[in-house]
Amino acid sequence: MLLSLPGGEAIRGIQAMHDETMASGVYLPEIDVAPPALPVSKGRRLEFRGNARDYFRIWIVNVALSLVTLGIYSAWATVRTRRYMHANTVLAGTPFEYLAKPIPILKGRLLTALIFATYVLGGQFFKPAQVAAALVIAVFMPWMIVKSLMFRARYSSWRGLRFYFTDDYGGAYKWYFGAYFLMGIPLVGFSLASLAGHPGLGAVLIFGGIAVIMPWIKGHQQEWMVENHHFGGKSFKFAAEVSDYYGVYIKAAGVAFAWMAPSAMLIGGVFFAFKSQMAVQPKAPPLLAIAAVYACMAPLYLGAWTYVHTRMTNLLYNNAQLGSYRFRSTLGYWEMFGIYLTNGLAVLCTIGLAMPWARIRLARYRADHVEIVGAGDLDDFVRDAFAHGEIGAAATEMDSLLGIDIGL
Amino acid sequence: MIPAVYFDGRSTRAIPVTVWREHSVLLWHTGDRTQHWQSPLEAFEPSARVIGLPYALRLADGAYLQVDHDLLPDDWFPRHHRLERVVDWLERKWPAAMAGVVIIVAALIGLFEFGVPWAADRIASHLPATLEHSMGTQSLAALEGRLLMPTTLKPEQQAHYQAVFQHFVQGIHGLPEVRLRFYTAPAIGANAFAMPDGSVVFTDALMKELPDDQAFTAVVAHELGHQAHHHLLREVLRSSGVFIVAGMLMGDVTSLGGVTAGVPMFLINAHYSRGFEADADSYAFDALAQQNIDPVAFVHAMQALKRAHPEIKGEDKSMRYAASHPMTAERIAHADAASRAFQAHRPASQAKGVH
Repeated sequence: MLLSLPGGEAIRGIQAMHDETMASGVYLPEIDVAPPALPVSKGRRLEFRGNARDYFRIWIVNVALSLVTLGIYSAWATVRTRRYMHANTVLAGTPFEYLAKPIPILKGRLLTALIFATYVLGGQFFKPAQVAAALVIAVFMPWMIVKSLMFRARYSSWRGLRFYFTDDYGGAYKWYFGAYFLMGIPLVGFSLASLAGHPGLGAVLIFGGIAVIMPWIKGHQQEWMVENHHFGGKSFKFAAEVSDYYGVYIKAAGVAFAWMAPSAMLIGGVFFAFKSQMAVQPKAPPLLAIAAVYACMAPLYLGAWTYVHTRMTNLLYNNAQLGSYRFRSTLGYWEMFGIYLTNGLAVLCTIGLAMPWARIRLARYRADHVEIVGAGDLDDFVRDAFAHGEIGAAATEMDSLLGIDIGL
Repeated sequence: MIPAVYFDGRSTRAIPVTVWREHSVLLWHTGDRTQHWQSPLEAFEPSARVIGLPYALRLADGAYLQVDHDLLPDDWFPRHHRLERVVDWLERKWPAAMAGVVIIVAALIGLFEFGVPWAADRIASHLPATLEHSMGTQSLAALEGRLLMPTTLKPEQQAHYQAVFQHFVQGIHGLPEVRLRFYTAPAIGANAFAMPDGSVVFTDALMKELPDDQAFTAVVAHELGHQAHHHLLREVLRSSGVFIVAGMLMGDVTSLGGVTAGVPMFLINAHYSRGFEADADSYAFDALAQQNIDPVAFVHAMQALKRAHPEIKGEDKSMRYAASHPMTAERIAHADAASRAFQAHRPASQAKGVH
């Protein structure tokens, strides 16, 4: 399998390479001996080779070892499971590599646990400590996002070259912190309108304000994230228009509205079914009813979230460019919705045992729907001049605990 | 001689090569033998073995040889990744996976049944009393004026119950400092609860329902059980522990959202709380018997509570694991049993002069 690389013929064809004596070592292929009539542009799909049977055993053994060692082994477990997912994602015959080491992950995880424990216990014994911790986390959030993206990039590689993410803290504070203060404008408008006795106008102001500002922020966040990534001596470029994001969010509002109908009907049914019990205990509705309401809200939440997630991912890839290569992401809404829904149900019904299967089929679908499009053979990338120093894992551990949706 | 792909670490050019070993040196060349490389074995850092994944034999300058999973000879790198070799061996065995499921279930039960409570109780016993005290005053201050309104009991009633309370408390050894407080609390209804600073709070609605002083004393005894064993502090620490442990587990293992994590945490906390209630009940039976009060008074108190809360009449057995208190019927049965034991031992204890 390794010798039948898609680009294998071409590699042998381009033997006369000459080394331009730059510090980073730029290779220029001499095209004169190239095989005749290379296709102008061809798409290479990502390929996912993992399977749920193998991944299940890897996952379960590693979770068991992590629990038995009271979490110490979890860092090694994380590296093994992430390596399985990375190395089974294959582009042009070569797998991606996950290069992080367990010890820094363990350190980051211990620090995260300490911060988390301080936050939780602070809330019980000394509320100001909790508020202070929350503020500190909020202020450091953009810094954490940068560090986390740097970590992911630094320890992901393909064909021996590492990805790189620029340490652009200024940009992060601009788009993940400062930009949110703009949300204050509709809030102020809302308060003024309410004070003037027009709460209806205020609601329109707040909704309209968010509708105008939110897609704009999200678009710039994506642009910032893509353009700070680098690979093989080239920087990613991003070409989306702000109007694309308005399109996504307007349609998402429509999708959410459409999902409201079934959710509302289901909730109505639940209230009817539990009406008699509600009358007796208006303050403490039965647990089953609460669970049922959550279950009814799930389709609305899942339906709207999947739409935004799918369309934003497509936007991200379809507008990104690396050198002469472009990307094409064709994730379908209903397919993704089906995968998330059945994954969620399977995981719930098996009390988590279906988790590996769920991850594998999501990874397979996603890989099958991302293509790299370009005329070259993907061997024209060269080592960049970035330092690629070691990056601490604390930020990336923190963001996986807080579940920050960076959206890659 | 094994096939491999060589990446020089300076470009993304994939070079198909053939690799072989001569003593402690690896050599590789292209298919047409125009390009040759070599490097001593100890210069390589091989990746750990994982099912199905190709090996990457890395050199310090970023170059690496990619060798198909099944093709790497075992004797090239026998001393690397010893721990992960064992893990890899386990990962290939279905029986190990099945054992893994059992171990996970056992470990989770052990962790939440014994581990978290044990650790939380150790921490609780080492925390300074002032912290517990400030926690109590903080939460009482937060409730006063919102849920807890000034009492409507007459001053002479209050004085009477304060006297009964003080008399009972003086008969018990090893109690922290406690005090009795009355509040009107329409949102809570007939109930009593203990605060970590030693306050025992009774609502006016409960005082109206309690038939006699002995029933009042029985409820006091139950709340003193919470005080004596520092249940509130321990419960707070335990539920925080569950939250922290579950948060770390969820973040790492499953990355599932809030609702799914919330349900098991709720059940675990209710489980701890039921244990504390049963604990406080048996403390109350002992304390009552010691002061020569028949624990049947506790039955009367429970019946009064039941009258005040009609909704617990039809207690649903299926909700047992979600309930924060043991089932009322069970508690009454335990109190009855304690009462029978008390009556059986009464002459003996009086003879020994136990008050």
